[in-house]
Amino acid sequence: MSDTDTTVPVTVLTGYLGAGKTTLLNRILSEEHGKKYAVVINEFGELGVDNDLVIDADEEVFEMNNGCICCTVRGDLVRILSSLMKRRQKFDGIIVETTGLADPAPVAQTFYMDEDVKRATRLDAIVTLVDAKNLAARLDDSKEAASQIAFADIVVLNKMDLVTEEEAAEVERRIRAINPYAEIRRATKSEVPIEAVMGREAFKLERILEREPEFLSGEDNHSHNEDIMSLSFEVDQPLDEGKFNQWIGELLQVKGQDLLRTKGVLAFEGQDDRFAFQAVHMIADGDYIGPWPEGAARKSKIVFIGRDLNRPRLRRGFEGCIAAPVAE
Amino acid sequence: MSETVNDADFLLSSRGKGEDLGAWVVGATFSRDGKAAAFALGDGTLRLASTAELAGEWKRVEAHDGACLSMVADVASGFLTGGDDGQLLRTANDGSTEVIANLGTMKWVDHVAAHPDGLRAASVGKKLHLFGKAGKLREMEHPSSVGGIAFDTKGKRVAAGHYNGASLWFVNSKDGSPKVLPWKGSHQGVWFSPDGTHVVTTMQENSLHGWRLSDGQDMRMSGYQAKIKSISFTAKGRWLATAGADCIVLWPFFAGGPMGKPPMELAGGDGILCTQVACHPQHEVVAAGFDDGLVLMAEIASGKVVPVAAPGRGAISSLAWNPAGTQLAFGTETGFAGLVDLSKR
Repeated sequence: MSDTDTTVPVTVLTGYLGAGKTTLLNRILSEEHGKKYAVVINEFGELGVDNDLVIDADEEVFEMNNGCICCTVRGDLVRILSSLMKRRQKFDGIIVETTGLADPAPVAQTFYMDEDVKRATRLDAIVTLVDAKNLAARLDDSKEAASQIAFADIVVLNKMDLVTEEEAAEVERRIRAINPYAEIRRATKSEVPIEAVMGREAFKLERILEREPEFLSGEDNHSHNEDIMSLSFEVDQPLDEGKFNQWIGELLQVKGQDLLRTKGVLAFEGQDDRFAFQAVHMIADGDYIGPWPEGAARKSKIVFIGRDLNRPRLRRGFEGCIAAPVAE
Repeated sequence: MSETVNDADFLLSSRGKGEDLGAWVVGATFSRDGKAAAFALGDGTLRLASTAELAGEWKRVEAHDGACLSMVADVASGFLTGGDDGQLLRTANDGSTEVIANLGTMKWVDHVAAHPDGLRAASVGKKLHLFGKAGKLREMEHPSSVGGIAFDTKGKRVAAGHYNGASLWFVNSKDGSPKVLPWKGSHQGVWFSPDGTHVVTTMQENSLHGWRLSDGQDMRMSGYQAKIKSISFTAKGRWLATAGADCIVLWPFFAGGPMGKPPMELAGGDGILCTQVACHPQHEVVAAGFDDGLVLMAEIASGKVVPVAAPGRGAISSLAWNPAGTQLAFGTETGFAGLVDLSKR
């Protein structure tokens, strides 16, 4: 791979039916940005999508034949994205709108599991639209609503005109309890600046954990008994790279189905550069991302967003990766 | 270095024609009568060449509004293409076009197939549309999107690859259900062996799967380093040549093979991925295209390799022989197309 990134950015829009996905999509497409997008939609809403290149796909989730039941990809996306690459000069980016009930994991995993898709495209960000008025009910009656928030890089809290400030604050609290790392954008009629949702590079290793969480992560964030929660751990001492790889490898192998997203920025013993790590279920990606910022403490931090997370065990595991002290 | 490159380009420069067409070459093929060659492009156009004068000008045909997604040689002559404009289109050797079917706006005609007996097939999503001489015969639905389609040599059956297997349909039967060849995973391209005894599919994983139709015996052909985009049986079906490795991989379909037999490897050694293969229509010779743009021919018995076009013009994305086995057409991902005459002079 050369330094110049020739891959096409892909933005994924998720959210329940009626949350405002199509309105946001049309907003993105109609804005004067001079960019052309190919749009993949999976269900026809009441609103049409006004664009030259709209592809109507059936969501098809395929298991990969590698013995791992959470290694699923979207077969329709593999086919469509591979085909779009044969005329990539015709657009600047791709937007994939999922159905309301879609689990975002197979979509995200497609960008890591399929070699053709990986070679030609990059996942820019997962944008989840939620309806401020109805989110609480959706969280209570479905599993997908929480998954969509857990996977989100940006949550657009839509239909703000329908709720009071207190109701909005409560909804935000529940979003943060699931995923304190997502950026929340309040909106009415899906009105958000286009740069808030496009070109975010949220899956770029260099940008992992760049944002401070909306909650201090010292305490457990699942006070409302959310099905999905996030945990974060930090250590000051450098980690042993081999120990970390072994621990995280085993952890993802065993617990990958419950771990929706894992992100870390790590200081390895004997390395001047930061190591960034991310995983979607058990599919992991990691690399050195350059030196620590001037004056920044060399702290290792890891964040898990998932179900049934055992805090003491994860903490012990992470702390167990601390490199043994060396005599100088 | 430049000397080897010149050598490798000897056939293309002395006995062929190459041109930069500016868009991904989705397909390269010759008409069944051998009189024309066509390149189908990612910008929706075709380029037609007369095989009588390879050096002549190629004709541009505005075929699809969007992109050409697939192309095969049509029934007796001409070409059959599917596009993302929902059209199944026939283009005659002279460049005139005729819409065989409009299969829906916003629908992609992903795969096409044709048979000399007047049969045509096209897949759109989960559906396979079958056409005879007098028009549409039937529509067949599959459990998931169709990844590839093929007629058998006799034109009696049509096969579709999909998730968890392949379906075989008898062309002339009105039966509502196909014979399903099951195997877990996502199957894409599908091929019959020339004698109709085996079906082989390429998979989402870096492997092939096959079935012996007489008893349903499964054949797993794995160990590839990349997805297999191209496979081709030799004329009598003794060998199955495949891309997907840093050499041409040939599976023996004789003496009990391919089960339990190691494949033969040809033209390897430089670590470059083979992306396309095409077996000669009569002899046990296979043409192969590589990720760096190299095109070569290899004789299976001797392993002797002859370069056709030098590397450097983009990964080979399509490759085909003419029916007589005297001309070779190829195209690349970056839009270069070449035609080479290999006949004795």
